[in-house]
Amino acid sequence: MAEFVGIDLGTTLSGLAYLRPDGQAEIVPNGDGERLTPSVVYFDRHEEITLVGSAARDGGDPERTVYQIKRHMDDPDHYVEVDGRRWTPAEISALILSKLKRECSRLIGDFTEAVITVPANFNELARKSTIAAAEMAEIKVSRLVNEPTAAAVYYAHTQDVDGRILVFDLGGGTLDVTILEVQNEEIQILTSEGARHLGGSNIDETLLELYADQYREQVNAELFTDERQRRRALQAAEDAKKMLSKLQRYTDTIGNDTNGIARIEVRREAFEKAVSKLLTRSIMLVEQALDGVSLKPSEIDHVVLVGGSTRIPKVKSALEKFFGKAPKSCSNVDEAVALGAAVFAQRAAHVREVCNQSYGTLAMLVNAATGEEAVRNSIVIAKNTPIPCSKTQIYMTSEPNERFIEVDITQGEDDDPRFVDVIGKISLEVPPDRPAGCEVAVTYSYDENQRVRALVVDKQSGRSQEVAVTYRGAGILSEEELQKRGRALRQLRIE
Amino acid sequence: MFNNVFKSLKAIKDSFTADAIRRAERRATAAAAADDELPEGDGVFKPQRISRLIDIIQPTAQAGPTAEEICGIASRMPKDEIRRRLALLYRRYNRAASSLDPKLRHEAERMLDAIVTVRENVFGPI
Repeated sequence: MAEFVGIDLGTTLSGLAYLRPDGQAEIVPNGDGERLTPSVVYFDRHEEITLVGSAARDGGDPERTVYQIKRHMDDPDHYVEVDGRRWTPAEISALILSKLKRECSRLIGDFTEAVITVPANFNELARKSTIAAAEMAEIKVSRLVNEPTAAAVYYAHTQDVDGRILVFDLGGGTLDVTILEVQNEEIQILTSEGARHLGGSNIDETLLELYADQYREQVNAELFTDERQRRRALQAAEDAKKMLSKLQRYTDTIGNDTNGIARIEVRREAFEKAVSKLLTRSIMLVEQALDGVSLKPSEIDHVVLVGGSTRIPKVKSALEKFFGKAPKSCSNVDEAVALGAAVFAQRAAHVREVCNQSYGTLAMLVNAATGEEAVRNSIVIAKNTPIPCSKTQIYMTSEPNERFIEVDITQGEDDDPRFVDVIGKISLEVPPDRPAGCEVAVTYSYDENQRVRALVVDKQSGRSQEVAVTYRGAGILSEEELQKRGRALRQLRIE
Repeated sequence: MFNNVFKSLKAIKDSFTADAIRRAERRATAAAAADDELPEGDGVFKPQRISRLIDIIQPTAQAGPTAEEICGIASRMPKDEIRRRLALLYRRYNRAASSLDPKLRHEAERMLDAIVTVRENVFGPI
């Protein structure tokens, strides 16, 4: 039985790794003999079977195939309807995890717990959906860990380096940047920043536009008019991306049954120009991460590349130009996150993490300089505070005879309430007939498992209320519903 | 803007981030129109306010606002200030792109595109 298991539930590829008895992490191949499993699910029309992985990606009807479900894990209204049954993103992810668990268990023995990785910027709903997916697949999540953190742990574990490391993780669907400090065996995460919808699939879509433009010029018709044709062209674009990482020029023949074929030629220069905006956005995220911990590029000792799209030469050269040093890769850039998750499962005690987000409350704030009053997000625990931690802020009641102290628990750094999420509420009843200005202490605690607790104490009366902050909004399944769907899922034949 | 929000807690703070945004927005709009001709401002940066401003100034213009206008970048703004402002907007809208609010996520993608365009226009491509 494998004691330490890590799973990278990726946008385009998923992988499972375990820690061998000699302490080295190893990828466990799936039942198809592949080290990584495409995160694609296909529901067959004729047989009671659900395909996951390469078979699902290569052969199916696009209307019965689900790609990149991870991009929708934070969308409470998203579902996939097949044969009248509605599947949530968590359920689709559970099918992928089920395949990994069932098939990898045959090689390493059964396991019940695993560390699962998530993008650094996954919001509360997406994190909870990931845990729900694992539970439906009968995997207990021992820890959710940020993908770049896992990759950094693997890099530090295998390369035996000290100093400040910046991990640039350009995955299939997201870009994550993490800065950490390694000293001997100890790892301190300094900050993690993530960008949604900035990954390899965005690059593929950009290249697809180049393909479509050239096709239109030559054939005077559209390259694709339905989803099946688009999927085929997108696969060709992905292949072209990989080739353009090795060659200066790539030619391809592409077309469809209706309008015929055309010869496409893409030069690396044109490709790099087409994706320049994505690269600019990537560098801005790096700047944001550095700014968040007041570091200059020259103060980073190692820049580490993770994720398939970091093979693109322009990504490497842009980072080299920015940092003044060549970035390095740790082993296979596609596998580092899963391998790091397995290492993390054993070495979690040596890794000190930070709050990924700021937590605060909405309050009527008075600007000391101008006297202006406005409802603002008042931060109690700031992003990048080392965890575990507990912080208290003192507020005052603003009106006389207030009977209820209302505390909205917010997630996000912005002081403008429009740009933060309210993820919980506390209402504390206090005695009547009191003047304005009574002191209220708001204390938030944040533990290693990224759980937040909030305590509100009315200092005059001594009354208090404490809650575990948990997002219970749309998209969250009840415990009963989760178990029911998990039972149904376990009855399925998944190949 | 916050009429529907009842807030009982109160505290004192040295400054608001929104103040910086408002100052930049004022600079961007001051040269173009008098305040009383503009949609009401409340200290919160609103791309739609800039859009409305452009409608007032150029009612016959066919094109929408430029990326610079969307980001509140004035023509003579120093580069250092542009960089700071873009960093502030990027931080805000990158976070907003992961918001639980789908409308805000949509708005964020549009803003991020404008922010990157301005960055490339002013500082050149990566």
